[in-house]
Amino acid sequence: MRRFSTPITSTTVLPEPRSLVARLGTVNWTPLAAALVLSVIGMATVHSASAELPVDYLPRQIAWVVIGLALVALMLAIDYHALVDQSPLYYGVSLALVVLVLAVGREIGGARSWIGIGSFGGQPAELAKIATALLLARQLSRAHGEFLSFKEMVIAVTLVGVPVTFIFLQDDMGSAAMFVPMAAAAMLVAGVRLRWLIAAGLLAFLLGAGFWQFGMQDYQRARVASFVSPESDPLGAGYQMRQSKIAVGSGQLVGRGYGQGTQSQLRFLPARHTDFTMAVLAEEWGFFGVVIVFGAYAAYLGSAVSIATRSRDRAAVLLIAALIALVMFHVLYNTAMVVGLMPITGIPLPFLSYGGSFMLINFATVGLLMSIDLRRDAPR
Amino acid sequence: MVERKHKQILVKRLWGLTRLAWLVMLVIVGRYWAIQILDGELYRELSDNNRLRKQEIQAPRGVITDRHGVALAENVPSYNLLFDRAASADPEASQAFAARILGVDVATLDEPFAAARMAGFKPVRVADNLSLGQVARFDAVHLERPEFDVAVAHRRLYRFGHQVAHVIGYLGEASRTEVEAGHYKVGDRVGKKGIERRFQDELQGSDGERVVVVDSRGRVLEEYHRAPSSAGRSIALTLDLRLQQTAVRLLDGKVGSIVALDPRDGAVRAMVSAPSFDPNLFAGRLDRRDWNALIEHPDDPLQNRVVQNAYPPGSVFKLVMALAAFDEGMQHTRIYCPGYSRIYNHRFRCWKRGGHGAVDLREALKGSCNVYFHELGRRLEIDRIAELSRFFGLGQATGIDLDGERPGLVPSTAWSEKTRRHPWYPGETISVATGQGPILTTPLQVATMVAAIANGGDRVRPHLRQDDATAERDKLPFDAARLAFIRDAMAAVVNEEGGTGRQAELETMTVAGKTGTAQVIAQETWTSNDELAPENRDHAWFASFAPAEHPELVVVIMVEHGGGGSTGAAPLAQELYATFFDTDHEHDGPT
Repeated sequence: MRRFSTPITSTTVLPEPRSLVARLGTVNWTPLAAALVLSVIGMATVHSASAELPVDYLPRQIAWVVIGLALVALMLAIDYHALVDQSPLYYGVSLALVVLVLAVGREIGGARSWIGIGSFGGQPAELAKIATALLLARQLSRAHGEFLSFKEMVIAVTLVGVPVTFIFLQDDMGSAAMFVPMAAAAMLVAGVRLRWLIAAGLLAFLLGAGFWQFGMQDYQRARVASFVSPESDPLGAGYQMRQSKIAVGSGQLVGRGYGQGTQSQLRFLPARHTDFTMAVLAEEWGFFGVVIVFGAYAAYLGSAVSIATRSRDRAAVLLIAALIALVMFHVLYNTAMVVGLMPITGIPLPFLSYGGSFMLINFATVGLLMSIDLRRDAPR
Repeated sequence: MVERKHKQILVKRLWGLTRLAWLVMLVIVGRYWAIQILDGELYRELSDNNRLRKQEIQAPRGVITDRHGVALAENVPSYNLLFDRAASADPEASQAFAARILGVDVATLDEPFAAARMAGFKPVRVADNLSLGQVARFDAVHLERPEFDVAVAHRRLYRFGHQVAHVIGYLGEASRTEVEAGHYKVGDRVGKKGIERRFQDELQGSDGERVVVVDSRGRVLEEYHRAPSSAGRSIALTLDLRLQQTAVRLLDGKVGSIVALDPRDGAVRAMVSAPSFDPNLFAGRLDRRDWNALIEHPDDPLQNRVVQNAYPPGSVFKLVMALAAFDEGMQHTRIYCPGYSRIYNHRFRCWKRGGHGAVDLREALKGSCNVYFHELGRRLEIDRIAELSRFFGLGQATGIDLDGERPGLVPSTAWSEKTRRHPWYPGETISVATGQGPILTTPLQVATMVAAIANGGDRVRPHLRQDDATAERDKLPFDAARLAFIRDAMAAVVNEEGGTGRQAELETMTVAGKTGTAQVIAQETWTSNDELAPENRDHAWFASFAPAEHPELVVVIMVEHGGGGSTGAAPLAQELYATFFDTDHEHDGPT
């Protein structure tokens, strides 16, 4: 028996290149297929949603997808063990970047989270998500018992808490919140006793109440309030919600037709190329389109978990849990938000919404999944 | 624990979470099903027929009135053309279409359509004051051209146009920086000059907004939400429209200005600068040709000559010098005037070729004898003259509630060394003693100065707003008897034989004044103004108050190239006093 807590000699040179290349055929390609289907639908939708915007976002979206595919290839070539082993380094670097942004970042969209790198800005917060997922996988896979000890949980929570705090200080509440499902999924999979779950639930409730009272900006409270009672703010968030639901509902079974959605084309929909891509899609492609998209996500999730099942070690399972939780939380929240099941906030839809660094995160996840599958029983 | 078994436990938990995620997904899909299939018809109908539109409710701007409540700036309804860029398939085609209906050249719409690009997805006003015919035509094509909308808005109307233009000012579109600073929206009209600008914050009010449900043709079906606008605050001015209009008439065809104020509190009763302009030109979108005509006009109609132009005060300055004469004990000294003085080997002219003979201070003021004041100037330091001038508020802004006031210039030795980089020459003091040379005053400063003499030594702050809470006064350190002496001399100027202001005399009351002539070109000889080219003729001043016994109105007249003050300015005062103190005139003072 060997534990994976023992250091693994990390290298990017594949130990047995020929056998790995030969094994490519046996890799589960479903995540990539699902990602491609969703990306193509996304590109079409973004193009349609751009019709009345000053810029067509399609060319840039294509560029992001191409870069994403390159990232898949890169991830496939790298042994994920190396990434897991080196995760403290990545974690440190991304944390430094997050702090740097906090110090010198320029204001974009109200949140100081963009470091200007040409027109393709990079968000250190996105990098921090991946780095934290890797470090969580590394840390939690060193646990011995069936359930995490209190100390192990404290360490895991701290590892997540540090970047979350800094990102939250940038007023990027959305990004900070995304760490929660990631950490929760990884820890739940690693094993959390029921009593701690109950305690965490209580703590979350108290923190939430305190946050509502002291930590939220007025506009954020307004959004939640308008979610609870949409008519209270017909000009702001309630207006967006209403327009989004009208867009989705009017799509009916087969949709208005591509480029024919009046809600989208007549600019009733806010942020239609980013957060409300799903509403555009639902309006123009109807319930059929919605089912296809959900089907692709379900297949993506299923294939990811299959890969975890036949993976080599606990680190792989935990890494997949963290990454998939991140992606799926976006999917569930965004699709629920569009139909009024959740308050409106800036959470994009993976593979579909326009957005650079977020697209890369999603493709990096696909690459990691396949990298894990490629090395499921490779001799070390 | 065996690693393989341990891993299997984790995988099992992961599958548990996955099933949960699938379940949630199913619930969400169910919601889409409910909205799209079960309620699809309803939402399709909502989408087709019930669209929410946000409309702005423009707040009416505050009305500006004269002291009797006559509206000088008011609002009238007007039809504006709004352009919604996001609803336009081809903004350039939209622009061409609008130009055709409006009957203007396409290029004239470049600017507003560029502004629409900047505004993003909000409709922007691209034309205003549409005729009813144009409104009907835009309405008729609303289906094909949904990007255009006609909105009823308030348009500023200045009923008395050019008569009050310099006081009221005018509106203009909020600048890009103001919009970016978040103070205003694109297309907002804000005060750019005058009272409109000074009290912009109070006048503007706050816009409201309403959300209406419109059908697919854009017709309003019902109101969904309304946040009412609140009107801007109205502002009452101290101006007396009748006096103002008389002043306008008197300056017709001339270049110059008239300012009248109440010496007791500084309330401005008339402020006219000629030539003037029509502020209504600015109420809509200003035509480039109109604008060029205004800024290229040789006499600069946009300039408010009462506060924005400073001239040598000429003999009017002798009023300040008279106080120095007391200090020198010269008030009863007789100085012989042969028509010129010779001081420092330089010959200084008196305006009267044959000379005034021997004159004391009163006679020197009455006949405006230069020689007397040359001698006084010879005895004084320029810095003492500067000190006296500053007491009267010369050389500094009066603080009136208008922007762009010029401070004028009071020379001193320090000023000479700092600005001109050479010492002050004593000979210059001789010129300054008669209000010539490097001394510059605005008509409003002269009015404030005369007001202080008239009211017994209080420097009041001139103001246009009626309920000006900040109106203040400074007690000047001048002996009341000396001021009374000067007032008496000023009455003599108008009412006694040999006075230079005889043409301002009224039968019904005693007018007191002082004429002034500001030389435009230096003269060594006595050339009549009639022989000079118009642009070389002297500026004519007349600074006055009435009634002499208990002054209620100060009038200062300045006519550029008007020749001498006696003939070029003083006659105008007569009619102004007659108008103001008309028999049916009820408001003879502030309340």
